Amino acid sequence: MSGLKVPRDILAVVSNELGVFRRNRSAILISLIVIPFFFTVSLGAGQGSAATFQPTAALPIAFVDNDLSVASGRLYETLVRSEMFNRLIQGYREDNALAALGKGSIYAAVVIPKGFQDRLMHNQPGTIIVYVDDGAPGVGNAVLSAVNATVQTYNPSTEITTSAYVEVAGFSTIQVVLKGTRFSGFALGLTITMSLVIVFATFYEIAGGMSREREEGTYARLLVSPVSLGAIMIGKTLYDLGLNFVRVIVVLGLAIYVYGVRLNTDFVTLLAGAVLIALLTMGFGLLISSLGVGLRAVVIIEFFLILFLFAFSGFILDKELMKGIPQIIATYLPWSYGIEILKRTILSGTPLLSLTSQLQFVGFSIVLFYALSYIFLKLARERLLK
Amino acid sequence: MTKAFGHFTAVDSLNLSINPGELFGLVGPNGAGKTTVVRMLCTLLEPTRGTATIGGYDLKREAAEVRRRIGVVSDGVSLYKDLTIEENLKLLTTLYDLPSDVGKRRVSELLEMFNFREKSKRLVRQLSTGWTKKAMIIAALVHDPKILFLDEVTSGLDPQSAVALREFTRNLCNQGVTVIWTTHYMQEPELICDRVGIISEGELIQIGSPADLRRSVSEQAMIEADSPALDAITLEKIRNLNSVCKVTYDDPILRIACMREENEDIEEKVVNVLVSSGARIRAIGKKDPTLEDAFISLTGGEEEIDRFIEKGRQRT
Repeated sequence: MSGLKVPRDILAVVSNELGVFRRNRSAILISLIVIPFFFTVSLGAGQGSAATFQPTAALPIAFVDNDLSVASGRLYETLVRSEMFNRLIQGYREDNALAALGKGSIYAAVVIPKGFQDRLMHNQPGTIIVYVDDGAPGVGNAVLSAVNATVQTYNPSTEITTSAYVEVAGFSTIQVVLKGTRFSGFALGLTITMSLVIVFATFYEIAGGMSREREEGTYARLLVSPVSLGAIMIGKTLYDLGLNFVRVIVVLGLAIYVYGVRLNTDFVTLLAGAVLIALLTMGFGLLISSLGVGLRAVVIIEFFLILFLFAFSGFILDKELMKGIPQIIATYLPWSYGIEILKRTILSGTPLLSLTSQLQFVGFSIVLFYALSYIFLKLARERLLK
Repeated sequence: MTKAFGHFTAVDSLNLSINPGELFGLVGPNGAGKTTVVRMLCTLLEPTRGTATIGGYDLKREAAEVRRRIGVVSDGVSLYKDLTIEENLKLLTTLYDLPSDVGKRRVSELLEMFNFREKSKRLVRQLSTGWTKKAMIIAALVHDPKILFLDEVTSGLDPQSAVALREFTRNLCNQGVTVIWTTHYMQEPELICDRVGIISEGELIQIGSPADLRRSVSEQAMIEADSPALDAITLEKIRNLNSVCKVTYDDPILRIACMREENEDIEEKVVNVLVSSGARIRAIGKKDPTLEDAFISLTGGEEEIDRFIEKGRQRT
């Protein structure tokens, strides 16, 4: 037996999978175009999730929208969803808000000047002005940091310049400048989209593909040949990683060129994050297929998987904000760590290797899924026969 | 070997030895356990108890070596329908670790031999049942196996293709390939097999050459009549005649097995029963027992007629 048998087998499995794939036009269309487009476009307006509880949450703060644009509306939503501004009050005019400051009815006023959206759309810095009543100690700093954190979610390339507590009619002014870039509320939406696209397509490809092979008898063909189970698993994994590479490119292309997302990380880091989520899903998909489930069961399991990801992976609510059983599920759901890796790298430019605990959890889960799949596929050959 | 699925024993204590270059037929009714035997022998199923040695390698401990030496044609072992036959074969030459030039030569020879050259670029899903079957046989032969499993291989084939396949298989055996041929068509093993094993309800109940098996029922004589639309009462009357062992009826063919030494006037008695029942007799005569008769005799094929008679009783 040649020493290159295993690599040759792996390559043969990959090329075989690609051969079948390229003959299936609807699979190409759905897998590489429809799914990435559907999720990217439908989540294109995604704003992001909540942040941790902040002391500003209880402060009554006025939101004065002089622009009345989509961009200003999204900024309002971002502030509200952040849960750092639970008492954000609309309806003030700028002069009323300034008059109310210092009287205890409001502690700050966030003012969106006219032309805010236009400036962003034309690659010019958009500015929001935050007036703070610094009569109460610490309020200025708290509001500053809360606004800072929140607008990062809104647009990660924000610059905050403080007019250094210059007394303007008795209260401080913080000028928040959104750096000259096209408007995008999609920075966080990108992590959600990418994760969903990868999980949705990958799980079906692996688990559904195995189920189809079982039903058509081609898996039995592989089993009666001298190819090892490991080579089959690695071959299918590499094939699917290739497809995911294309999907990530499609999603990124849309995000960058259509929604104007600016990434705070490099492409390799982003790709590494995507690969981790894909491997997690593939391992889980193989594990499910080792149970010998049919195509219908695969679709049902996929539905629940996506539901779980939505509910417990920080898509809607950060897991730190969950309580009780949801928090326990979120803590042990490996995808939530994969998604956190994407968030941290894409949004705040955190170096991938510094996310040690997340990487460890995801890595351990991948190894566990693959090891269990290998054992079950080995033990349950007969379940995988037609 | 024994194979059980939960409480159901599909194959019970199978003990069998097949010689190199032999064409061995495994026959039995549907659900007898033939495919389970093949699946165990080609490493798809692990025996619950026992093991086998195939080509000198232990089925359980040296499964990879066994797989290198066997070829399988079975409904449950298919080709990729979205690939051409050539692409399927290329995949298999790689998986069987054939050097590139050897693989190409082998594929080319097989395509030529099976007259498949023109269709080699067609997708498997575009082939007819007969050509798909041929493609599966080529796929099973691509690595030049020493042992070939042909599981119900002629089902779905037209008569000409079935004849050609039987001839081809015989030639393979002449070249030293061992073939295990499973079928529920009794005529096939009679035509080509060196030895036949009869399996029923998971048990190997008889083994021998087709001639041996025919001889095993030689104490019986067979009467075959062409008599349409017989009713259950008539069949029961025939069954109750002295010296009648078994009666089977597949409208219009009535087959009666009776003891040879006692059957001098049995044909006349049968005619009397049929005439008195108002049945039409288009033909009647004695014939030598076939492998099918041996099979029916050994596997208790009377159950069908029992059911038919019972149904008749209920009606009357």
